Amino acid sequence: MNNVTASITHWELLEIEKPARYLGGEVNQATAKNNPDLRVCLVFPDLYDLGMSNLAIKIFYETLNSHPQIMAERAFSPWPDFEQLLRRKNLPLYSLETGTPLHDFDALFITLPYEMTFTNVVNLLDLGGIDPQWRKRNKGPLVIAGGPSASNPLPVAMFMDAILIGDGEEAIIEICETLIKTKRDNTDRQGIRKELAKIEGMWVPEFAAPVKRRVFKGFAESTPPVSPILPNVQTVHNRATLEIFRGCIQGCRFCNAGFYYRPKRERPAEKLVEYARQLLQNSGEESLGLLSLSTSDYSQLTELITALDQQKLYPEQNVSIPSLRMNESTLNLLDATPHIRKGGLTFAPEAGTQRLRDVIKKNITEEDIISIMRATSGSDYRTVKLYFMMGLPFETDADIEGIVHLVRHLEEIGRTCRPRKQISISLSGFVPKPFTPFQWAAQADISELRRKRLIVCRGLERGGSKVSWREEFLCLLESVLSRGDERVGELILKAWQLGCRFDGWHEHFARDKWEQAFAETGIDAGTYLRERQVAETLPWDFVDFQVPRTYLEREYAEAARTAGEADNESTG
Amino acid sequence: MNQPAEYKTRINYSKTRQARYISHLDTIDIISKALRRLQLHYAVTQGCHIRPKISFGPPLPLGHASYCEYFVITLLQQPDAESLKTALNRELPQGMEVISLEFPWIDKKSGAAGEQVNYRLHFSSRQTADLARTWLLNPETAFQGMRKGETRSYAIGKAVQKAELVEADSDWELQAEFVQGLADVPSVSKIVTALAEYLGASRDDFYLLERIALQEI
Repeated sequence: MNNVTASITHWELLEIEKPARYLGGEVNQATAKNNPDLRVCLVFPDLYDLGMSNLAIKIFYETLNSHPQIMAERAFSPWPDFEQLLRRKNLPLYSLETGTPLHDFDALFITLPYEMTFTNVVNLLDLGGIDPQWRKRNKGPLVIAGGPSASNPLPVAMFMDAILIGDGEEAIIEICETLIKTKRDNTDRQGIRKELAKIEGMWVPEFAAPVKRRVFKGFAESTPPVSPILPNVQTVHNRATLEIFRGCIQGCRFCNAGFYYRPKRERPAEKLVEYARQLLQNSGEESLGLLSLSTSDYSQLTELITALDQQKLYPEQNVSIPSLRMNESTLNLLDATPHIRKGGLTFAPEAGTQRLRDVIKKNITEEDIISIMRATSGSDYRTVKLYFMMGLPFETDADIEGIVHLVRHLEEIGRTCRPRKQISISLSGFVPKPFTPFQWAAQADISELRRKRLIVCRGLERGGSKVSWREEFLCLLESVLSRGDERVGELILKAWQLGCRFDGWHEHFARDKWEQAFAETGIDAGTYLRERQVAETLPWDFVDFQVPRTYLEREYAEAARTAGEADNESTG
Repeated sequence: MNQPAEYKTRINYSKTRQARYISHLDTIDIISKALRRLQLHYAVTQGCHIRPKISFGPPLPLGHASYCEYFVITLLQQPDAESLKTALNRELPQGMEVISLEFPWIDKKSGAAGEQVNYRLHFSSRQTADLARTWLLNPETAFQGMRKGETRSYAIGKAVQKAELVEADSDWELQAEFVQGLADVPSVSKIVTALAEYLGASRDDFYLLERIALQEI
């Protein structure tokens, strides 16, 4: 088999930004197996620097390569400079381990972490010498996707032979064993898809049968990846990642991840301490990052943090704990643990008023934030970061002005702290995601989001807080890509044909091309952005998400009731 | 209070194959992780952000292979050169390899005015190698390069001390001596980039450059 990298010259590589992204050879890379029964490539549709931090890739890489019959390799989206080089030289995209063209694998497993990677998926397939549309493929690898952005699989259905909905740890082995068997039996592609459709959680566009989200019930007893590949290029999260629990009990009504990863499953603290030791020993990372949706909800948090603080393998080691809900007891715990990294204080109130926070079920109050700011006066915590959403269901202008009032109040308190606290605000338009209680809500349009953003920006002009925001069109696009049906696939394909790539990167995002794609496909974004009636059938209703629709309906109604009651109280 | 004994050790390593495309900063990161994985006892800096007491040789330009890279680390245990070399080599990515350890290492006071750097430049064609040799050995050779984001004119001047053509097994080698780090003397990196540009369509005949020695002058 040809190693594609042999066709790229030294001087060509030097014209590329960070060529080490495309050459593999890292520590802990799997060694090639002799004649494995199945060769698969794990594909991440974004840059190496992001993909190498992705936990799913690490989990599947270790799981599959520990299987004696399977060889798993990796491929990432090439940055446009490298894509141009490949296209100019008519070379296919290849795997990092052996330089094998993507079209020579038995299967590609594509992780879909966020919707803005969808054009990259099409691009990867095309660059790998694979027709992006499954109906047009009669040879080459089976293309199988999974990940949180595939929870509604319809928008990417036209590109995939099969899509896994839910946790992949067990399913990926079942998929590979099915592929080994069908390869041995020389089964045709349709036959393979038929077999794949029998696996719990697998949805095959060709048959479009109802499907139940796969839940990895053995998560708590499972071993996390402890020998990750060590990137040769610095990645976005330069630390060893340890997933302490999966799922979330907060029940925030806007949060897709909170429902996608249900139920909550915890790894025991004593096991985590041992995994942490192995992970640090095998990676040499300076920092260990604990991963979960809401670390504060880990039932043995004090034991875990105290034990990790005491377990020091090398002098510069530290532990970072994102997603920690700050309160006085958390602060006391962090104060008592010198090796736990103290970053800034981060809060996600999401909404500016208590009324709207109750509506979206966000369990944080203004008093919580203020008390933490006061309690950390004189400490190392100098920065305060706040996340807000705009365009939430049942939102009024008073809620937007509430963001201004809240931040101004915090600025005043920040000024009394020594040293003064620097506040930064991140604003984003709300996207009502499938399988959440707000799945029926309308997506706020661009002008509305912009008007609200300006209220906040003008209101905070003189306060000294830094305000950043997400471009409003991106929110709308994300809404279409996550709430869409099969036709959205045509939109993605057209946008890619027009040159869209790396839509999550502001330097590459091309709004004009996306607008042209809407126009040329005749797809009306409004179809997907409108409010839905609770009684109507939603495109993604065929997915049994293991969260009853009736529960989501009740939660939506409860949100409306909360909003209504609060309105009545304030007007009454 | 007794200070623990310190063992300053110089570790010489090579960067070849795909590792030559790893940047200097990423190389530092890779080596730091390798040292941590070995759980060596090394001295660390004092202060709130603890760092190992380690210093690296001058940065190797991206794409240049080298057999003379090094770092100096202060260990808190006497190293067993062979076993440390073997252990470190297990922890490095493909293309990076520890060649030798020098212990005890004593830092020399640097009064260096610059460096002499020896390279092997590999060519697949004799004609291109000849062309390159002539270009390199002409002190009048002028070219443009980037410095701090601005285009600047350079002349080879005394930067190239020697360039001898040698026929090797399967290619042609220019064994070249450069000086760099002096005022108005262009770096090797700038010179070879300009050389590749000069060679135009034949630049791919010039397929490998290896740094084989580096000495302060």
